[in-house]
Amino acid sequence: MPGLGTSFGRGGATTAQQDLANSDAILIMGSSMAENHPVGFQWVMEARERGATVIHVDPRFTRTSAMADIWVPLRAGTDTVFLGGLIHYALTHDKVFREYVVHYTNAATLVRDDFQDTEDLDGLFSGWDEATRQYDPTSWKYREAEGEGLTPADPTLQDPKCVYQVLKRHFSRYTPEMVERICGVPRDVFVKTAEAFTAASGHEKTGALCYAVGFTQHSNGVQIIRSAAILQLLLGNIGRPGGGILALRGHASIQGSTDIPTLFDILPGYLPMPALGPDSLDLQSYVAKNSSQTGLWANFDKYFISLLKAYYGESATPENQYGFHWLPRISGDHSHFGYWLDMADGKMEGLFVMGQNPAVGAPNARLERRALAKLKWLVVREMVETETAAFWYDSPEISSGELATEDIATEVFLFPAAGSAEKAGTFTNTQRLLQFREKAVDPPGEARSEAWFMHHLARRLKARAVGDARPRNAGLNALTWNYATEGRHHEPVIAEVLQEINGRSLPGGELLEGSAQLKNDGTTACGCWIYSGVFPSPGRNRANERSPKGYLGHGWGFAWPNDIRILYNRASAAPDGSPWSERKKLVWWSEQDRRWDGLDTPDYPRDLSPAAPADLRAGIGVTALGGQNPFILHADGKGWLYVPTGLKDGPLPTHYEALESPFPNAMHSQQCDPAAQTMARPDNLYADSPGDPRYPHILTTYRLTEHHTAGGMSRTLSHLAELQPELFTEVSPELAAEAGLDHGAMARVVTPRGEIVARVLVTQRMHPLWVQGRRIHQVGLPYHWGYRGLVTGDVVNDLLAISEEPNVRINETKALVCAILPVAVETERA
Amino acid sequence: MSNPSPPQDPREERLAEIRREAEREGTVKQRGVRPAGAPFPIASAETGYYGIPLLKEPAWTWQIPLYFFVGGAAGAAAVMGAIANATGADRRLVRDARFIAASGAVLSPALLIADLGRPERFLAMMRVFKPRSPMSMGVWTLLGFSGAASATAFAAFLRGRYGPSLPLRVLENAGEAASLAFGLPFSNYAGVLIGATAIPVWNENAGNLPMHFAASGVGSAVGLLELAGHQKNRALQAIGLGAAIFECWEGYRIESRQLPKLDPLKHGPSGRLVRAGGVLSGPVPLLLRLISGFGKGPRSQNLRRIAGLSAIVGSIITRYAWVQAGHASARDWREPLGNNDKTDG
Amino acid sequence: MRVTAFLTDSTLCIGCKACEVACKEWNEVPDDGFDWSGFSYDNTGSVGHSTWRHVKFVEQAPEAGLGGNDPDLASWTFSSDVCKHCENAGCLEACPTGAIVRTEFGGVFLQPDICNGCGYCVVACPFGVVEKRPGDGRAFKCTFCYDRQKVGLTPACAKACPTESIQFGEIESLRLKAKERVQELHARGMEDATLYDAADSSVGGTHAMFVVRGDPRAYNLPPNPECPTVYLKKAWTSSAVAAALLVGGSLIAFLADRKRPSR
Ligand SMILES: Nc1nc2c(c(=O)[nH]1)N[C@H]1C(S)=C(S)[C@@H](COP(=O)(O)OP(=O)(O)OC[C@H]3O[C@@H](n4cnc5c(=O)[nH]c(N)nc54)[C@H](O)[C@@H]3O)O[C@H]1N2
Ligand SMILES: Nc1nc2c(c(=O)[nH]1)N[C@H]1C(S)=C(S)[C@@H](COP(=O)(O)OP(=O)(O)OC[C@H]3O[C@@H](n4cnc5c(=O)[nH]c(N)nc54)[C@H](O)[C@@H]3O)O[C@H]1N2
Ligand code: SF4
Ligand code: SF4
Ligand code: SF4
Ligand code: SF4
Ligand code: SF4
Ligand SMILES: [Mo]
Repeated sequence: MPGLGTSFGRGGATTAQQDLANSDAILIMGSSMAENHPVGFQWVMEARERGATVIHVDPRFTRTSAMADIWVPLRAGTDTVFLGGLIHYALTHDKVFREYVVHYTNAATLVRDDFQDTEDLDGLFSGWDEATRQYDPTSWKYREAEGEGLTPADPTLQDPKCVYQVLKRHFSRYTPEMVERICGVPRDVFVKTAEAFTAASGHEKTGALCYAVGFTQHSNGVQIIRSAAILQLLLGNIGRPGGGILALRGHASIQGSTDIPTLFDILPGYLPMPALGPDSLDLQSYVAKNSSQTGLWANFDKYFISLLKAYYGESATPENQYGFHWLPRISGDHSHFGYWLDMADGKMEGLFVMGQNPAVGAPNARLERRALAKLKWLVVREMVETETAAFWYDSPEISSGELATEDIATEVFLFPAAGSAEKAGTFTNTQRLLQFREKAVDPPGEARSEAWFMHHLARRLKARAVGDARPRNAGLNALTWNYATEGRHHEPVIAEVLQEINGRSLPGGELLEGSAQLKNDGTTACGCWIYSGVFPSPGRNRANERSPKGYLGHGWGFAWPNDIRILYNRASAAPDGSPWSERKKLVWWSEQDRRWDGLDTPDYPRDLSPAAPADLRAGIGVTALGGQNPFILHADGKGWLYVPTGLKDGPLPTHYEALESPFPNAMHSQQCDPAAQTMARPDNLYADSPGDPRYPHILTTYRLTEHHTAGGMSRTLSHLAELQPELFTEVSPELAAEAGLDHGAMARVVTPRGEIVARVLVTQRMHPLWVQGRRIHQVGLPYHWGYRGLVTGDVVNDLLAISEEPNVRINETKALVCAILPVAVETERA
Repeated sequence: MSNPSPPQDPREERLAEIRREAEREGTVKQRGVRPAGAPFPIASAETGYYGIPLLKEPAWTWQIPLYFFVGGAAGAAAVMGAIANATGADRRLVRDARFIAASGAVLSPALLIADLGRPERFLAMMRVFKPRSPMSMGVWTLLGFSGAASATAFAAFLRGRYGPSLPLRVLENAGEAASLAFGLPFSNYAGVLIGATAIPVWNENAGNLPMHFAASGVGSAVGLLELAGHQKNRALQAIGLGAAIFECWEGYRIESRQLPKLDPLKHGPSGRLVRAGGVLSGPVPLLLRLISGFGKGPRSQNLRRIAGLSAIVGSIITRYAWVQAGHASARDWREPLGNNDKTDG
Repeated sequence: MRVTAFLTDSTLCIGCKACEVACKEWNEVPDDGFDWSGFSYDNTGSVGHSTWRHVKFVEQAPEAGLGGNDPDLASWTFSSDVCKHCENAGCLEACPTGAIVRTEFGGVFLQPDICNGCGYCVVACPFGVVEKRPGDGRAFKCTFCYDRQKVGLTPACAKACPTESIQFGEIESLRLKAKERVQELHARGMEDATLYDAADSSVGGTHAMFVVRGDPRAYNLPPNPECPTVYLKKAWTSSAVAAALLVGGSLIAFLADRKRPSR
């Protein structure tokens, strides 16, 4: 999550859902939280009942809007403009929490003289290379004072090159008029919203911002999150009770699956995966590249070497650079879309699909299904026979004759998987909280846990590699793999895995109490440094603790890092260490005990006094930041309004239209995020942009409370399937009248990738918007249906294109263009 | 909140009009949104909850209305038989009335049990005696009546076969008295049964349904006896006349009251049934009986037979009609919401 | 045993249907069929034999700038419906087998091992709650989670509700709470908030109370429900009159016929 990572330091929600109850205003944008996070939403309701203003910004009026005080309909794909508008409003209406901003953000820092803004270059930042279609980010960096290697700053925020002034100029055109013009939000509605949200700022008040995939699934998703981060930093809302940015994660433990990633480009704890290149030739250069002198990343080598020790045990020695060379290297785009397109081109032999149903859930699902047919083998571990598992005999391609079962050579292995109640393990939820869950019942029949499968697969692979001297097997042979097993089915003891993640000292093997104990000399092993402390002693699995105390629920589960519930909470106190206000106190410096104290675990060295001076030049690690810099993962300890390094598409968010849009970019002539990748090809076509006359409407996709994602877990259960039994498309009465759609009849929705048929739900909850001088209609489609299960429907993702946001390679599901037509003869449901 | 200054564009105006119309009507009649199958539905004080019925329709099968008919006729026949016996009327008439009552006594429980979702649990009815439950009272009445009517018939049969004896006489007389006692409520409790429910068209008529059903039962009992060969009996003619007159009045009452609750009695399939049943139970037998009064010959007797038949058919139809009306009434969401301000027509 | 009740506060309901699903899970209620209704997001329609908790979705035209919590406009409201557990319960009064009883918690419980499927309770419920299940033959409705309450557990629906829209507790304190809640909503400018508990009708109050915004009729809550026992007097009187007429009429007819022998 680089949007939050680059802004604050860690790629996780800065706050906990319980804490929303303390907010004075809650801005929910890019999520229908009530529908998709109903349990967490109870704290929004609590805040609302206590008098907080709840604002929902969404193209549709959803169940979340129904709970809000203000609903703002906006054109899908224009969030940067709306948030930019709020930033502009805060900057121009004296709503900035100045003391906070001056001390805790990089507002005062000066940027290089050769930095040029999108405002100067008509939509591009300096450093753009048209040939490689990439930025050279050098000019985005901070100015370096002659010779000293230190960054100069202007605490008066007057210097035209200080971040604050750069920001002001950058957002000067994000006026209410511009918001109205681009987002279609009536000016007075915008101003009402801006007043309400910016009022929740200052010593006595805080506001929170919640988002989910309505932000992320855009071609400039990371920059949308960046806008939110800037807004919250300006309002002084990070690290304080009732403030923060709550990134609402998706699947159970999707947070966990980025912490200990299933991604190709990071290692556990957000350590970057080494790439093929000069930076990663040896351990030393790799560590040098990724560590910094000041801040927490001064410890990079400790985290990384401890990880290698966890992987390779005794085989990892200083002599062999702790096995650094055994790690694979990134040689290209190995993300989902990267390898799936390779698969479509016949470049892959086999695939494991575990806990995923891409035949329905992945964009351009038609392409994805057809690609499956090019594999030699496919392993699906599932609880039900999903569309993905059955693609070779039951799919639209088979029914249409495009593919024939006889011609598909893919050998499909369907393994029954144990469900979450049928195995032990942890979930890491949206607020970075690890919760251990015991097995409730044995899995039926042949079903086994993922851990069982991976454990025994690894054992067998290792057994085969023994004595095989080929270099490719060196890492596999060195890998430690000695988990004990238990029970009839020899399930690995999951607590042991968690202990390995927690870390041990070597060679003694004592469990570590936290990442502070990690060493860079091979005397500690730790599977994921941010989780360290979850299992501090043999009898104490903190993820399994169930006695909550206090409003943040300490004692229930374990929040990484160090059980901190609200990150960067040093910022809840003024620079002198006293709370900003009694009402909003969280963590404070106790002069008496000479330590940080409070309602949460301090996200700061316990005894680093506010009076301690910063020494960025000579100091090392977090202490070098001194006592007044809460964002300890950043080398300067500041929250970054401006991101000098770490992003591929610019240091500041700027408005780009979606890859497919009915409108030209009204801000500048750069239509889309220049660094975003369309992956356009004949089986992944795009509409002309802007304004393809064939596809006049905006299409957005989303979820319903009643179903879960690709439907394998909800369309197969009668109690859920009956609640939303059929795919439907939501349209406004106006669009229905214009397009000739009947409520309850069928409509065809068409994009360049394909077309589907859905029932029409005419509802006044959909509003046409007035954008750039014309009416624009938005078509809504929930995407849960497929061709199997108790209730079936067309696959909405057949309509979507594969594309990649430049930083996280997520695709655009939220803003596309489409046509919608009535189906002349009502298609009978099968 | 205002819209972002849309220009004075006729298309804009039209869109605004569409939304206003949608808001008002829950449907848009402009090109496009024709209410197909389901109109674009709304839930409001005026429209109820998408027009979904608030009440549940009766769950009864075809046996129940037939049971109402059989019970009505049998009960009335038992009463008339007993009174005829007491007043010393024709023995044959008494015998036939008892036979009708006894047949009903056998048929009624069979029909009632057949309708149960769990027929094997019929006996659960005997766990309790609940004066506030018309169904409970009805079941006990049915049991009493069935026992009494069949005992009477049985005793009479034995007497006919083996000659009179004291015990048989006692049994016969006691049975007859009990048949009378149980036959009275049995002939009309179905009116109470459906009257004291939540179904608007039924409970609106709670005060006259028992009388209506009694008259219907009496009419059909008379008809059955006439068909059995008593087409010359003047007492029956008088009783039949009375029943037909009552049914005419009942029909008039239904037709003349302008209550939307009564719509199912006048409109739709159930309305047609009610009318058919009413005409066959009231005016037709009344007329036929009056005409038959002018003669004495076989023609007149035939007319009475037809009158009797008409009352029987009318009675059967009437029971089905009322149950159907109950269905229609339960389906009408407006009634229980008090939203039915539309008057007859 | 304490007498319990539900207070379902529609102003806190997010329409997640967790209550509906939890009820079905706990009570193993079969599905309702898989038909799309077109009635907002409600595809199960009403409470009945296969849905004991049911969430209603009432849509009114929303406006930009106004969320559903705005005092002026309740634009999309959700309300979770359930058996009312009437103080004077039509179903209980009507049941000829005694299958329906009042429990020690004040709820109205239908004993599935006694019900013989006579169907009389179905037409006796003024709220259209209890219904006969085809195939099974018996009538079914919310049990008030008698089995859970017996062992001190909260009913499944209330337990599952994330926002405390369904509150469960001792009835008198809930009645008080309900009144206070309505007053509070009024004070917040939601003049249209009302308490629905059928206290002023022959139903005599319910163990399932509802706070809703706007007219309860939009949620199919009847303004004047009647416990059908109120019609008993009229009906039995009519029955007695009919009996008297029958006896009197027959007597007169047969006596008159005897006086003038005609054969
Ligand atoms: N019941 C249920 N809960 C779930 C899931 C589920 O499938 N079912 N899925 C889980 C998963 S995997 C995830 S990732 C989360 C996702 O949680 P959410 O992000 O809340 O999910 P969505 O419904 O996809 O999208 C949220 C909202 O974004 C709006 N939207 C669309 N385009 C735009 C836009 O351009 N700007 C803005 N501001 N809003 C836009 C949509 O109208 C929608 O209301 O939910 C999780 N929770
Ligand atoms: N158009 C459109 N497309 C989208 C989105 C969107 O908003 N719009 N959202 C995207 C998002 S955020 C997500 S997360 C994806 C989700 O897309 P997928 O991950 O493809 O969809 P799921 O249905 O969640 O697939 C999970 C599968 O795992 C199985 N499963 C559950 N538990 C276990 C287990 O313990 N072990 C194993 N082996 N299997 C298990 C379930 O049965 C289910 O079939 O969809 C994406 N696609
Ligand atoms: S499904 Fe689980 S994670 Fe999602 S809201 Fe419900 S309780 Fe929370
Ligand atoms: S609501 Fe109906 S089913 Fe429930 S107790 Fe009252 S009368 Fe009985
Ligand atoms: S159907 Fe069952 S519960 Fe209902 S009245 Fe008859 S016996 Fe009683
Ligand atoms: S009380 Fe129990 S039976 Fe009744 S609705 Fe709630 S969960 Fe269902
Ligand atoms: S569980 Fe609660 S919030 Fe969800 S629908 Fe039911 S009553 Fe409403
Ligand atoms: Mo997700």
